[in-house]
Amino acid sequence: MTTEDPYKPAQPNANDHAEGGMDYLVTRKRKLVTVYLPLGVFSFVLLFPFYWMTITTFKGKEDLYDYDRNSPFWVSNPTLANVKKLLFDTAYPEWLWNTMLVAVSATFISLFASVLAAYAIERLRFKGSKWVGLCIYFAYLVPPSILFIPLATMVFKLQLFDTRWALILTYPTFLIPFCTWLLMGYFRSIPFELEECALIDGATRLEILLKIVLPLAVPGLISAGIFAFTLSWNEFIYALTFVSSSEVKTVPVGVITELVEGDVYHWGSLMAGALFGSIPVAILYSFFVEYYVSGMTGAVKE
Amino acid sequence: MSNSTGLALIGRINNNANALGLLFMLPAATILLVFLTYPLGLGMWLGLTDTKIGRPGEFVGLENYKSLFSDSVFWLSVFNTMVYTGVASIAKFGLGLWLALLLNQNIRFKSFMRAILLLPWIVPTTLSAIAFWWIYDSQFSIISWMLIKLGLIDSYINFLGDAWNARWSVIAANIWRGIPFVAISLLAGLQTISPSLYEAATIDGATRWQLFRHVTYPLLTPIIAIVMTFSVLFTFTDFQLIYVITRGGPVNATHLMATLSFQRAIPGGQLAEGAAIAMAMVPFLLAAILISFFGLQRRKWQQGVKD
Repeated sequence: MTTEDPYKPAQPNANDHAEGGMDYLVTRKRKLVTVYLPLGVFSFVLLFPFYWMTITTFKGKEDLYDYDRNSPFWVSNPTLANVKKLLFDTAYPEWLWNTMLVAVSATFISLFASVLAAYAIERLRFKGSKWVGLCIYFAYLVPPSILFIPLATMVFKLQLFDTRWALILTYPTFLIPFCTWLLMGYFRSIPFELEECALIDGATRLEILLKIVLPLAVPGLISAGIFAFTLSWNEFIYALTFVSSSEVKTVPVGVITELVEGDVYHWGSLMAGALFGSIPVAILYSFFVEYYVSGMTGAVKE
Repeated sequence: MSNSTGLALIGRINNNANALGLLFMLPAATILLVFLTYPLGLGMWLGLTDTKIGRPGEFVGLENYKSLFSDSVFWLSVFNTMVYTGVASIAKFGLGLWLALLLNQNIRFKSFMRAILLLPWIVPTTLSAIAFWWIYDSQFSIISWMLIKLGLIDSYINFLGDAWNARWSVIAANIWRGIPFVAISLLAGLQTISPSLYEAATIDGATRWQLFRHVTYPLLTPIIAIVMTFSVLFTFTDFQLIYVITRGGPVNATHLMATLSFQRAIPGGQLAEGAAIAMAMVPFLLAAILISFFGLQRRKWQQGVKD
């Protein structure tokens, strides 16, 4: 708490945390310095790289390298040359399509497997389900950076090297543990009584899952789905290792490996590539902010 | 509890819970066993062979680990990983907690702020790392330019050309990316703390620091344990930021164990050596996982959850 003033007597009413409760006793000036100023600095630092990315995308050569005549914080002569180069002179549209395809397929495979697994662990309570749940949690903690070498040899042996399937089949290894863990939390919150009623009425387990549990767990499904999509979209090390031809590359890999040519960096088109690769997830995020937050905190809290 | 009676009833009605459970587990279990458990074992095995790309290896015992033990670049990468993880995690925790406390106050546009500040964590790391690469450019760095205009320095900073400059630069980028995750997770924890506890403590004459130290912190400890385990784990095994910004350079000064493992295994072709480096990360990861596990147990115990 850097805002503490040691020489002032304790202010009994300077309540840091109460939601509104005693907040009216904190003076406006004090709040401006201790809350809004640091928040402003945080926002500036956290958002500046995006601003920089965006304006660099639309800068021409003279704007890009001449900071003395043109202010670097603004674009004097906006140009679409970088965007045009990216979209028409590189395989960028293909990478976008690949990323979309891989992310959507991996997400659907993972959601399917996770819903069944989470329901089994949380509700069927088969013998050893507690241990399986724990194993799922540990599986989430296994990082891709220790798996990519053995996976690369497997991908090669299975003749999947340099195909989209290599990515679609390996992404679920980090998506399924995450989604299962998240969905287990949501399923836990659905009352048992609903299932009991359905069982007494003669519904089968599959019917219960499809007609009762899933409709009630829609927020959880959305959270898990958008998270899985984002994680696949952002994945880098597997895509870098398992794929080598331009036609099957994903956006992060394509931008890093093909837009960087030798020692001359085309910052304009590099930034354009970064910007357009970020926009899809940013749009998805803007529609589902609450689901993201609940997904993230849910996975940590459970 | 209706839970246990409900369970008993469901158990009685459905005798086949075990068979059905097995069936439902099948898709997830198959994928995880084939693409996660098996590669984990295969990785351990590869570390004990002399496999190269295009050549199946033979068992050589601990040969790879022995050569790593006398490999100064490997030890440099271990050192870098420790510094990177230690500094970045502590900074992420401090700044993230501060941001969480700020966002937990009664401020305007709260949910909008929260949404915007999570952006660095949502956007692909590789792509934001490219922006940092450009920000750290030796000739056109905007940071250097601003500092010169402010009269704080005379010449452009060589961000990525000097060993320690490069280390601090990648650490800064990692902190930037990690703050939102820590902050938003801790904010969720803060929001579960009842305001009446603060009111009671305030009436008893507690100062702001005492409120934080004796109310907020103890109630937040379990979630801090879990969030920081995740943070440490992902920082320790980080690959993307380093690969994009420095590729381990200058002269291996920023190589982490993960990037060195990739460097040796894929472009270098020494699969076995790369696997051995990757496996050398496992003891650290196990330690982090154990801490997280006990953090979870403690949280359950605090909430009075019995299974």
